[in-house]
Amino acid sequence: MMVSLPTRRADWRLMGRTARLVVTIPAYAAVALAATVAGLTAFSLSLNVSLVVDTLSLPISTGSKVELLVSLYPFVGTAFTPLQGGLLVIVATTLGVNVAMVAYHFREHGLSLQQGGTSVLGAVLGALGAGCAACGSAILLGLLSLVGVSTSLLWLPLDGLEFAVVALLVVVLSTYWLADGMRGGQINGCPVDV
Amino acid sequence: MDDLTRRRLLGGTAGLVAGTAGCVGGDANTDADATPTDRELMTSGSSDVDFDHPSATGINDQPTLGDRSRQGVIVAFEDPSCPSCRRFNQNTFPQIESELLAPGDVAYVFRGYPVVYEWGGPATRALEATFARDPAAVWDLKAHYFDQQGQFSTDNVLDRTRSYLDDATDVDGSAVVTEVSEDAAAEAVQADYDAGQAAGASGTPTFYLFRDGEYQTTVSGAQDFTVFENVLLG
Repeated sequence: MMVSLPTRRADWRLMGRTARLVVTIPAYAAVALAATVAGLTAFSLSLNVSLVVDTLSLPISTGSKVELLVSLYPFVGTAFTPLQGGLLVIVATTLGVNVAMVAYHFREHGLSLQQGGTSVLGAVLGALGAGCAACGSAILLGLLSLVGVSTSLLWLPLDGLEFAVVALLVVVLSTYWLADGMRGGQINGCPVDV
Repeated sequence: MDDLTRRRLLGGTAGLVAGTAGCVGGDANTDADATPTDRELMTSGSSDVDFDHPSATGINDQPTLGDRSRQGVIVAFEDPSCPSCRRFNQNTFPQIESELLAPGDVAYVFRGYPVVYEWGGPATRALEATFARDPAAVWDLKAHYFDQQGQFSTDNVLDRTRSYLDDATDVDGSAVVTEVSEDAAAEAVQADYDAGQAAGASGTPTFYLFRDGEYQTTVSGAQDFTVFENVLLG
């Protein structure tokens, strides 16, 4: 099967128009927002699952618990640099829009496994990217050392956030394929074609 | 803790913070100008404790700021070559020193955990060798590794370590480097590594937090001061 890639300006306009048409429907805007928050939460908290679970039973006030958990997010606490935090927010937002499009496409037209699978892959890579950013590349280096790559040969300009960059590419590809699948149809009474 | 001891520790940590802040700017010699008696005050006389957690195995032999019998204890697994450890040491650690260590509420235990870049291994062994000679100087050297992290590599770590120790501390840099080259400090590093593995530390920095001698939770990454304050004192 030929895999189509968004190589032309018209492909990106198609993606933008399709996404815009979907998220201007209030119900799907809510889905996008919820998925964005869920994605950012998963990215931010995935490295500290035991802390999150333990916090619920710590002998501290509810206010302290809330303050502690909120501080794990980018731009609130210090776990992520502005670059890392910005990239994670972009990945989470793109994922949110993607999930809204998946929901719309599923309800209106049915959905292929390829399109759904790439969304999940994007979310997993985003979580790995957040984990690597927060723990100093150790996860990525550990994974590569398992397949025999010497850590001394590695240079990671983004300190492990490379996974999040790959996640963004995957989610954008998934979004394009979804938009391509909706080409020729209508969303909320508007034609998808550009 | 009596008021006199509390004030002495407060003054001691203030000096320590001032020394660290000066080091952030990249001038290694400012560390030598920090008040050595204050550092000695913060790094000596800690009580032995017996915490029932793998991360705390052998912590009575580890570099420690403050007394381990305090209400809160942070057991930190760090790698000198880890970028997130650098951000923690430059962003969060100074506030922990001034607001948790200085008032006498919390102690901070360092454990070397070289798992990121290769030069972190000899650097961690140098920290152990330095600690054996001067418990206060190990904190200066650790800060130096983080402040100058981008300058270090596997090829130059020992030379730069020797130069720093000779120039900025009273420790004999050549003796430390010789000990590292002969793997004499490897056993101490292995003890930290084994403790980290047993505790499940999957990366750096990883912190195990204790309150009144009881394990509370594990914190991963260069997290905010708020996390430590709320778990240990909230």
